[in-house]
Amino acid sequence: MRSDSEMPFFFGANGGVFGMYHAPALPARRAVLMCPPLGQDLIRCHRLYRQMAQALCAQGLAVLRFDYHGTGDSAGASADVDWVRCVEDAVLAATELRERAGVERVVAFGARLGGSIALAAAGRARFSEVIAWDPVLDGADYVDALDAMQAALREDAERFNSPRTHADVAEQWLGFDIGEGLRRQLASLMVSGIDVPTLVLDSTSAAPGAQWERIVSARGRVASISPPTPWNDLRRLEAAILSQPLIQSVTGRLKETA
Amino acid sequence: MREEAHRFGRGSHLVGVAGVPAGARGETGVIVLNAGLVHRIGPFRLHVELTRQLNEAGYPTLRFDLSTLGDSAATGGGMTRTQQVCADVDDAMKLLKERAGCERFVLVGLCSGAQNAHIVAATDPRVSGAVFLDGYAYRTLGYKLRHYLPRIIDPGRWARLLRRGAGAGNGEAKAAPEPVFAVAPAPREEVISDFTGMVSRGMKLYLVYTGGISTHFNHARQFRECFGKVMSHPSVTTRYVGETDHTYILTGDRARLLDGIGGWLTRNFPLATAGRHA
Repeated sequence: MRSDSEMPFFFGANGGVFGMYHAPALPARRAVLMCPPLGQDLIRCHRLYRQMAQALCAQGLAVLRFDYHGTGDSAGASADVDWVRCVEDAVLAATELRERAGVERVVAFGARLGGSIALAAAGRARFSEVIAWDPVLDGADYVDALDAMQAALREDAERFNSPRTHADVAEQWLGFDIGEGLRRQLASLMVSGIDVPTLVLDSTSAAPGAQWERIVSARGRVASISPPTPWNDLRRLEAAILSQPLIQSVTGRLKETA
Repeated sequence: MREEAHRFGRGSHLVGVAGVPAGARGETGVIVLNAGLVHRIGPFRLHVELTRQLNEAGYPTLRFDLSTLGDSAATGGGMTRTQQVCADVDDAMKLLKERAGCERFVLVGLCSGAQNAHIVAATDPRVSGAVFLDGYAYRTLGYKLRHYLPRIIDPGRWARLLRRGAGAGNGEAKAAPEPVFAVAPAPREEVISDFTGMVSRGMKLYLVYTGGISTHFNHARQFRECFGKVMSHPSVTTRYVGETDHTYILTGDRARLLDGIGGWLTRNFPLATAGRHA
């Protein structure tokens, strides 16, 4: 892999959105936009996203990884993360990718909330397909899970010598300030099906469950990935998430539809 | 102020984000090294918050990924990891010199980042200061007394141990926690000698250790127990925050760390252009 084929840059109206463009050796006919998840999931998935981008690039696809406003290297504080802005940034990134790669067809990939954002942005961003890995469909459940983990974190004896106060852990989720706006947006989030081919990669359970039906019933399908991914395990909060089966599934899918 | 994304280095293999405040030509540059395997944004975005706060104060900064970490590639060339770290930081210093005219540098590192900062700081004359977060630590006699004595004289603990012994084999084995503190030890005398050399060269040091490394370090006195009288030198500032975890997961703890680093930097490396960046 040529290191100079991966170029970091800032884009967007105020130059505040960070991107990493993976240019294939030959002109691409298709491109992949990799929408990151939010919060600690973004950090845990960083290496996996890079590995997947390199694998896709080696297949001849142009790839763009990027960070939403208030996340990663992009401008803005963590407390500024806003759902609507994340979706707008995904649309903006799709436009940037089309211009850089000189292609029209863009497939979106996203893990967890990154998959949800890709689904929400699919129409405006004109994605030709969305591949969503364990996307969050019911925001209220997601908020409850994060609140529970944050409450457990307060008295996590593996991390702190003694329990912290409630004030110490308030208005945060697992290392990040959370604005009241984002909490409200996620609590009311209900991702529905889209009129774009959708592949859901499920590593939350041994067998794909009924929870995905509402987003794949029209033009999509579900495939299982094993082993299960420990998204909500406090003991592994700072361990990278890596999955060769996932990379094989995504690269295989994009070979199928080339 | 805008940040700049760079691919740089002798093999164009490194990726980093530089923050260059307007009018900051020639100030001390701050370079932040990876903490463990986390990419350049740092644990919970610590490095982003730190560099931006320092940019606001007027200091040029660079957060970047060392070879093979984050978005940076390998160079090949058969170097040892130590040689590679020194060469990568050399590339980083050259970039910040080119972008902001920096001639002297402060390195900041947490855990393995502190170890890497130590390696470079011990040998490179351009490094004028270093912030070591949960860096080298050794279990001293004082550590052992503070750790074991309360346990030995706690009757409740003995009772729990005896109950556990009686019921051995009935319970599930406790799963080992994910390792967090993973700085490979260097010989203590060598580390003391390095610190002494750094201070005699005029370097300023700031050591901040947390309760997150309580397997090795458990009291403010332990700086002196570990490293001797060099810790009392006026160029050395130490701080122990026992309530805080290793990676500063709580935003209040992070804010206090950032304020501490900012204050230490301002006191020890005042801006040549002071007043412009109010």
